[in-house]
Amino acid sequence: MSAVTPQKIPRIQQAISVLWPSFIVAVVATGLFFSAFNPRDLVPYNFDIAISPLAAYSLGFFIFWIIALVSSYGTLYFTISNCRFLSKQDK
Amino acid sequence: MRVQQADSGDSELYASHQKIYPREVSGRFTRLRVLAILSLLGIYYLTPLLQWGGRQAILFDLPARKFYLFGLTLWPQDFIYLAALLILAGLSLFFFTALLGRVWCGYACPQTVWTEAYLWIERKIEGKRTARMKLDKAPNSAAKIRTKILKHTVWIVFSLWTGFTFVSYFTPFDELAGELFTASLGPWETFWILFYSFATYGNAGFMREQVCKYMCPYARFQSAMFDSDTLIVAYHPERGEPRGSRRRGSDYEAQGLGACIDCNVCVQVCPTGIDIRDGLQYECIACSACIDACDEIMDKMSYPRGLIKYTTENAAEGKPQHILRPRVIVYATILLVLCGILVTHLVQRIPLELDVIRDRNTLYRETRDGLIENVYTLKLLNMDSRPHRYTLRAEGIDGLKLVTDQGEIFVEAGSVYQMVVRLQADEFNLEQRSVPVSFHLQAAEANHLTVIEEARFVGPGKT
Repeated sequence: MSAVTPQKIPRIQQAISVLWPSFIVAVVATGLFFSAFNPRDLVPYNFDIAISPLAAYSLGFFIFWIIALVSSYGTLYFTISNCRFLSKQDK
Repeated sequence: MRVQQADSGDSELYASHQKIYPREVSGRFTRLRVLAILSLLGIYYLTPLLQWGGRQAILFDLPARKFYLFGLTLWPQDFIYLAALLILAGLSLFFFTALLGRVWCGYACPQTVWTEAYLWIERKIEGKRTARMKLDKAPNSAAKIRTKILKHTVWIVFSLWTGFTFVSYFTPFDELAGELFTASLGPWETFWILFYSFATYGNAGFMREQVCKYMCPYARFQSAMFDSDTLIVAYHPERGEPRGSRRRGSDYEAQGLGACIDCNVCVQVCPTGIDIRDGLQYECIACSACIDACDEIMDKMSYPRGLIKYTTENAAEGKPQHILRPRVIVYATILLVLCGILVTHLVQRIPLELDVIRDRNTLYRETRDGLIENVYTLKLLNMDSRPHRYTLRAEGIDGLKLVTDQGEIFVEAGSVYQMVVRLQADEFNLEQRSVPVSFHLQAAEANHLTVIEEARFVGPGKT
């Protein structure tokens, strides 16, 4: 049996391994962040943007998701590229 | 009986996916499972309909930043309670895993619950296992497309209902239903309904056991809570092997065979598509479908039941079993202590908060009567579900005078009241430049509703 290397992981599983952990982190981060800050207080004075609380929470969630996504993708990218590098050295 | 990992596990983990067609099963554990699944689905779909004191009993009111839990109203300041609740949930998972193995996976996990519901719909429309396999293999025909469209339509409707219910935990159900029927749903509400529906449809309709195998963190670390006395689903190779087919009623022992007739029904019923006879595997969600399936076969063969059964590693090896063991006792103790702390805190929680902000523009000023005056902005948070009248007083300096334009302060249930107060003191009584003072706020008719908030009083200081 040939050794399993990360670059052989199917695309869909790579996508899940990036999207899913970052999703969980984003849920936790959104909960923590908005329990400490009211989105209404985050808008600077005299700067009136008509945005509903639900929209603010949703946008906050997506911002956190993107941040965590970048981190998760970084981990996957370095794992795969390091593996490629190591297997090249082996040859 | 160890969890198989290493080579065989890894190669399987990355193999391309093959669709699993779980065979229908009946029996005592299946009945228990259906009961658990129906109760949990009932709780999920009916909870938003519960009313309590004129509002939805359980509601995360995001715009108002309040969480209603029957009679209790939690504010963002009480986030710690939710965090504690999550920690308790985690610890209970540890406790029940140590004791009963993966009972969560098999009976209570939302992934299992909705997968079973979607499978049930699939069975009702596409038929039994063999019919479903035949249908998928068959070339496209009008009948096949009709069946598939029907299945997906029912799945999508069920998903949308699930998504709608999810959002109704955040926007009151009545309001949401009204908006739906007048086609005036907000963009974000629509988005989250669709998002959650899509997740349900994808996870329960397509991903199924792959979620357990590739995405679930619990599946990966649950073995850490296991010991030799943990309840597992296991096949008994000593009794079953060597497996082989035989004529009913024949003396299999004389033929050199074990009790396993190698009918493969245990493999066919498995929702994760494993063979329990290969030993305990991390893919096994302990759903006990194979137990019921095998018991039925054993009955047909007139063999005693229990070739596959709930057991423990110690029981299977004939060693003494222990229900109370250090691991279980430690988990139970931590769980009980934390539960106690949480309940005590909740009972003693004072649904009243006072924030004091000293006026930052002027340090102090002198009144016409020669007193030193400080100005404060007070924020009163009545977190109770009833309105209250409060009395306010200040202490800390001899002859300290509190000047407000009202005697009793009335604050509506669940609202914030902001007011400006002045404190006046004789310069003679000020020992330092900055003296600590305290505001005492007390509900008129409920003595236990009392909060004390510290502040500073600034003066010219002793010269």
